[in-house]
Amino acid sequence: MRNKVFLLFGSSVLAFAQFGQQQNLAHKIDFPHDAPVSLAGDEWGGSAATVRGGAYAIDVRVALSLRNASQRRIRGITLTVLAQEATPGGKGSISVPSLDVAPGEIFSVRGDLHLLRPIGTGASPMVEVSLDGVLFDDLNFYGPDKLHSRRTMMVWELEARRDRQFFKALLDQSGREGLQKEMLSSLARDGDRPQFGVQMVRGRSTNTDGERDMQFAFLQFPGAPVEPMGGIAHIAGNEARAPKLVVHNRSPRVIRYLEMGWIVRDSQGHEFLAASLPSEMRLPPSSSSQILPDASLRFDSRTSVESMTGFVSSVEFNDGTMWIPNRTELDDPVLRRVIPPSPEEQRLVQIYRKRGIAAVIDELKKF
Amino acid sequence: MTHPLQSDLALYATGDLPLWRRPVIRLHVSGCDSCRSWVEAFGADRESLRGLAAEMPAEVNWDRLAAEMSANVRVGLEAGECVAPRVRRPVLAAGWRVAAAFAGVTALLVSAWWLNMPQAESVALGHVVEKIAQARPWHGGIGALEDSGPMVQVSAAGIQLQQNGGTLGMSQGQQRPVSVTLSVQGSARARYIDADTGQVTITGVYAQ
Repeated sequence: MRNKVFLLFGSSVLAFAQFGQQQNLAHKIDFPHDAPVSLAGDEWGGSAATVRGGAYAIDVRVALSLRNASQRRIRGITLTVLAQEATPGGKGSISVPSLDVAPGEIFSVRGDLHLLRPIGTGASPMVEVSLDGVLFDDLNFYGPDKLHSRRTMMVWELEARRDRQFFKALLDQSGREGLQKEMLSSLARDGDRPQFGVQMVRGRSTNTDGERDMQFAFLQFPGAPVEPMGGIAHIAGNEARAPKLVVHNRSPRVIRYLEMGWIVRDSQGHEFLAASLPSEMRLPPSSSSQILPDASLRFDSRTSVESMTGFVSSVEFNDGTMWIPNRTELDDPVLRRVIPPSPEEQRLVQIYRKRGIAAVIDELKKF
Repeated sequence: MTHPLQSDLALYATGDLPLWRRPVIRLHVSGCDSCRSWVEAFGADRESLRGLAAEMPAEVNWDRLAAEMSANVRVGLEAGECVAPRVRRPVLAAGWRVAAAFAGVTALLVSAWWLNMPQAESVALGHVVEKIAQARPWHGGIGALEDSGPMVQVSAAGIQLQQNGGTLGMSQGQQRPVSVTLSVQGSARARYIDADTGQVTITGVYAQ
């Protein structure tokens, strides 16, 4: 009897000793031999794996120095950081848009990610960094594109070109003062932009509150190739689930991907971007289609959904070209308040904040 | 004058009264006509019974009959115990040492939990217990206990992976993102800006 008690004591102590125990993180960087970038150096300081229940909680803190091994300028890069392919939360990505890396130049990519990996899927916790894609200045793309980074980086690059063109035009028309005023205005919007907590829940809701249907309102962009025709979502308490949207292709081209923004307004008048609704499709000209994502959004428990607004944020045609809203279409009071600016605008604003308007003008002249 | 009990007089008459009580009864009977008549009556009855017993059938075995009667009396007593209301007697637990050992183990586990368990795990466990209490599976509410797996949540602080209401971790460590977006496909992106170079880094986490 006494031996059994001691055995139980020992087992309990060992079991608890597992929690919180940190282990060094094994890592691997795997770029194809014909990749347009090569590894010039890497730092993994601070990366570690901690046992949490039946999984390793992996902190990946990586700084890579990469060399542009191609003959073209690199505009963006996306790396896959993989702890476990099949595990939810086991995959992450690090993207750097708005780059301008000349052939032979070295640039840095830093990432700080938190991933999961089940215990027992290998001898030790390990992450693998691989290349998902590189976007060049001629909009050509290299990479396996498993994370659909071509599309994402293409949108960022198109937004960057649009915004640089806007700021250049502003500089030409209104001079340094006009550009400076716009930088300050962007800074102010950044500070005022609301960010509410939203949780994405797969499948059915467990909320037992009474459910009601709510119609979407839409922001119409005259230049958009897609027109939202109608939409509905089920609202139950602080959850919005099973959104259903109908869109119409009014362009002469086949559409293969559409992304819509979903803005929520609560009963206290707060508006925020709740989520994006991406949808793979094949939508011929002059035809309509439904978007039916199997998802629920759960907001803060005090949030009561008052109204919902949708807008088309990007479209990809069958030939791989893309459409994004122009600055005029985005100059809507609601959108300006809730939609974050493009990565390029945020980069230019940061340059302005750090080095002043002259540095922004110099940056614009590079392109 | 106080008379002896009739049962004592009957026992005296048959010679069955204990020796130390006989002198007292004998003294009383010698001076009391009433009691002496009872003693004489009991003696006559005894002689009469002896006469009747002599007339009983010869095959009757008195010893066996007496044993059967005693057995029947015992059966009757035990049957009476069966139908009588039970009185629960306090019983000292035989395994008190086991109970003490388990109390020690529990104290050890609680201490180990307090000292070692990350706060996120404690929060997650608390949420699980809370969820079980809300779902009341013992009342058939097991449907609400379905585990939907890790969920992705965005907030001003960044991207969080959550399970059972507890935070599994947050991307980009302590740095605060300039913007966070959530996709209904089960991914989230957080945008960070290097304060010195202005370089934008966008991290993505995929919960599905």
